[in-house]
Amino acid sequence: MTLRLGRLPAVYAAKFRAEIALQVAYRGALVIWLLGLLIEPIVYLVVWTTVARGQGGQVGGFAAGDFAAYFTILMIVNQLTFTWHFHFFEWRVRNGFFSPMLLRPVHPIHNDVAENLTFKMLTFTVVGPVALFLLATFGATLHPEPWHLIAFVPTLVLAMVLRFLLEWTLALAAFWITRTVALNQAYYVAVLFLSGQVAPLSLFPPAVQAVASVLPFRWMVAFPVETVLGRLAPGEVLAGFGAQLGWIIVSLVLMRVIWRAGIRRYSAVGA
Amino acid sequence: MRSLGLIWLSLRLGVLNALQYRADFFIQLFQSLVGLGTALAAVALVFGQTDELGGWSRDELIALVGVFLLVGGLINVVIRPSMERLMEGVRLGTLDFTLTKPADAQLLVSVRQVEVWRLIDVALGTVVIVIGIARLGERVGPERAVAFGLVLVAGVAIIYSFLLILSTLAFWLVRLENILVIFGSMYEAGRWPVGLYPPWLRVALTLVVPVAFAITVPVETLVGRLEPMTLVTTVGLALAFLVGSRWFWKFGLRHYTGASA
Amino acid sequence: MTLSATRPSIRVTDLRKTYQVPEREGGLRAAAGSILRRTSRSVPAVAGISFEVEPGEIVGFLGPNGAGKTTTLKMLSGLLYPTSGEATALGHVPWRREPDFLRRMTLIMGQRNQLAWDIPVVDSFELNRAIYGVPRDEYAERLKELVELLELGDLVRKPVRNLSLGERMKCEVAGSLLHRPEVLFLDEPTIGLDVTMQRRIRAFIAEYNARTGATTLLTSHYMADVEALCRRVIVIHHGVLLYDGDLAGLVERFSPRKTISIDLEAGQKPPDAGWLAELAGGPDAVVQHSAERLTLRVLRSETAAVTTRLLATLSVRDLVVEEPPIDEVIDLVFAAGPGSDVESERAGATR
Repeated sequence: MTLRLGRLPAVYAAKFRAEIALQVAYRGALVIWLLGLLIEPIVYLVVWTTVARGQGGQVGGFAAGDFAAYFTILMIVNQLTFTWHFHFFEWRVRNGFFSPMLLRPVHPIHNDVAENLTFKMLTFTVVGPVALFLLATFGATLHPEPWHLIAFVPTLVLAMVLRFLLEWTLALAAFWITRTVALNQAYYVAVLFLSGQVAPLSLFPPAVQAVASVLPFRWMVAFPVETVLGRLAPGEVLAGFGAQLGWIIVSLVLMRVIWRAGIRRYSAVGA
Repeated sequence: MRSLGLIWLSLRLGVLNALQYRADFFIQLFQSLVGLGTALAAVALVFGQTDELGGWSRDELIALVGVFLLVGGLINVVIRPSMERLMEGVRLGTLDFTLTKPADAQLLVSVRQVEVWRLIDVALGTVVIVIGIARLGERVGPERAVAFGLVLVAGVAIIYSFLLILSTLAFWLVRLENILVIFGSMYEAGRWPVGLYPPWLRVALTLVVPVAFAITVPVETLVGRLEPMTLVTTVGLALAFLVGSRWFWKFGLRHYTGASA
Repeated sequence: MTLSATRPSIRVTDLRKTYQVPEREGGLRAAAGSILRRTSRSVPAVAGISFEVEPGEIVGFLGPNGAGKTTTLKMLSGLLYPTSGEATALGHVPWRREPDFLRRMTLIMGQRNQLAWDIPVVDSFELNRAIYGVPRDEYAERLKELVELLELGDLVRKPVRNLSLGERMKCEVAGSLLHRPEVLFLDEPTIGLDVTMQRRIRAFIAEYNARTGATTLLTSHYMADVEALCRRVIVIHHGVLLYDGDLAGLVERFSPRKTISIDLEAGQKPPDAGWLAELAGGPDAVVQHSAERLTLRVLRSETAAVTTRLLATLSVRDLVVEEPPIDEVIDLVFAAGPGSDVESERAGATR
C-alpha cells in the first residue's frame, strides 16, 4: 500500500464528495440508523431520572437533572464515536466487495474513515437539535466551567480515534471467522456496560469500575462525558488522556499486526 | 382448511431449511444467554440503587424481562425473518413468483422463512416469567392465564401488522433495506415498563409503534395490574391493526412495479 | 378440459404502461437540492399494444433491452397494473389475480429461482403441489412425465444449491409445470445458459406445447430461441408493436433484399463496374467486386431476373442466393423504429 502522504488530502476530499452524495441519496436509511442510536440513551435517561426522583432527588451523586445531562451528552458522544464496520466487514468480504478495495492504491481504512466521518457529519445535523430538545425537556443541569469545555474537545477527538481504530481492528476478525455475529454481540455487551451507556460508571460496584478503567471502553465514550460534566478533577482528566493515548497506541500496533496477518490469509484463501 | 395446510407446509419447509445449519443452534444459545444476562444485569444495576421503579418492583421487572424475551422470540421465529425475505424478494424480483401463485400472497410471504432456533428465546423467556411470578408469590389462576394468552396473541398480532406495514413500504422505498431496524430500535424501548416514559414518548411508543401493547400489557396481566379497559383496547387495537395492515398490503400490491421492467 | 377453439386465449387492446422515474443530475448541489424537491419524468414502457393469441400458439416477443416486452409479459401474467388499456387471458383480467386464472397459468423467469435453496427440489415441488391443489395421483404422473422429458433423473432429490445453473433451470421449469397450466409466460428462459442447455430447454418447450396445447408466450433477445420455437413473432421496440406475423414475413418486410454471391470461373474477366451496378439496381447494391467474387444486394422481385442475366453473361463456378442473416434484419428493425419499412430499406442499402 504505497501512497505518498501528500496525496492523501486530495483522496479524502474526493472521497468526502462522493460519500456525501451517496449518503444523501440514502438519507432514508440514515435516518433509520440514527433512530437506533438515539433510542438507547433516551431510554436509559428516562429510567435513571425515574430512579433519582423515586429515591428522593438523587442517586449515587446524580440528581434527575444530572442524569438528563449525562445521557444527553452521552448520546452526542456515542453518535460521534460510533462505528459499524465490526458488523459489516464480514458481509463485505463474503460478498466480494473487499477485493476491489485491495486493488486500489489507497489503504482500505481511508475509505472507511471517510465513510464514517461523513455519516457523523450528516447525522449530527439531527442529533444536535434533538440533544438540545432533550436538555430542555428533561431539565438537564449543565454548568460546565470553561476548562471543562476546553478539555472536552481533545478527549472527544481521542475517543473518536480510539474507538474507530479498535473496532476496525476487531472487524478484521472476519478474515478468520465466518460468522462473527457471536463475537459482535459479546463486544457490544462489553461496550454497552463498560462505556457507561447503561449507567454512569460511578454507579457500578467498585470492582467493576476498576476493570472499566483498565479496559478501553470507558475511554471511548464515558470519559469525554465525565470531563465536560465536570465530574473529574484536572489530575484525573490528564490521567485519562494518558489512558486514551496508551490505548490508541495499542490499537495501532494491533491493527498493523492483524491487518498484515489478515491480508496474508485472505490472499491465501482467495476472494 | 386449505390455508392452514399451506401454512403448515410452508413452516415445515422453513424448519427443514433452518435445521440444515446446526451450528446456528449453539450460536443462538450463546446469543440468547448473553441477551438474558444483559437484561438481568441492567435490572440488577437499577435495583442496586432503588427498590422500585415507577411503581414496579424488582420481581415484576424480572417478569417483564421474561415477557420481553418471549415476545421477541415469537416474533423472531417466523414473522421477522419472513418480512426480511419479503423485502429481499421485492428487491430481487422473486416476489413475482409468489404473486403468480393461486394462494393468498400475504399468507405465503408471512410464513416464508423460519429461524427455528429462536425458540430458545421463547423457552428462556418462559422460564424467566415463571421465576419472576414465583418470586412475587402471585397466583396465576386460569382467568389470568387466559387473559395473558389473549393479550399475548393480540400483542404479537399488533407487532406482525406493524412489521407488515413497514415491509409493504418497501414497495415504494426500495432503498430502505434497513427499515426493519426501526422496529428493532423501538423494541428495545420495551425492556422497561411503558409507564416510565413521558407522555409524548409514550404516545410515540404506544400508538405509532405498539411495543407497549406487546410487552407491558401481558406483564401487567400476569402480575394482576391489568385493567379491563386495557384488555379491550389491546384486542381492539389488534383487530384494527390486522385489518389496516391487510388493506395497506393490497394497496401496495397495486403499485408494485417489480424489480426491473 | 377443452378450450373453445373459436375464442382467442389472450386478447390485448391498446395496453399502456408508463413509469415515473425520478431523475437527478450528479454533483453535490443537485444532491443537496434533491432533499427537498424530487423531479421525475414519465417513461412510457408500453405505449399502446394490441394483439390476439389463439389457444395453443407459441408467440415470441422480440425486442432489445428496455423495449417493453417484459413489461407486457408482466401485465399479462397479472404482476403489473397497466396505466390504461385492456387485456384478457383465459377469459380473466390478469391483474385481478383471480385464483382460477392463477391456477391455469405459470410464469417462468430466466435467472430467477423460486425453489427453496437448501432443501431437495422435490420438497419444493410438494409445496407447489399443495398451493395449486394438484391431486396426488395426477401430481405423481406429471412429475414422472416431466422428469422424463427434461431428463432430470436423480436431480430432484438434491438441494438446489448443489445443482449447476442449467440443472437448476430445468428443475425450475419442471416445478412450474406440475399443475398443467394452459398458458405459459416465459421471460428470457434461456438467458445465461450454455448452448446445449438452451437447445434442450427449447426442445422441451416445443414438446410440451405439442403434448398439451398450452398457449406459450416467450420473450427473448436471442434470435435462436425465436427461430427454433415460434411460428409467430411480435416485435416490440420503444413500447410499440413494430411487427406481428411470422418470421419469414418479418424478413421479407424489413429486409426486402436478397444477397447473390458469385464465384467466377478462373479466367473469367470480372464485369465492368458500371454494368454491374446497373444490373443490380444501383452502385450501393454492389457489395463486393473483385477478381474472383461478386456479391450483390438485390431486391427480391429482381432476384430471379438478375440471377438469370448473370448466369447467361458470365462463366460462373458457384452461385448462392441467400436471405440476409436474421440477426441483421432484427438489427435493422430495432435501429429503424416504428413504421419504417422504407427507412430500413434505405439503411440496408447503404450497408
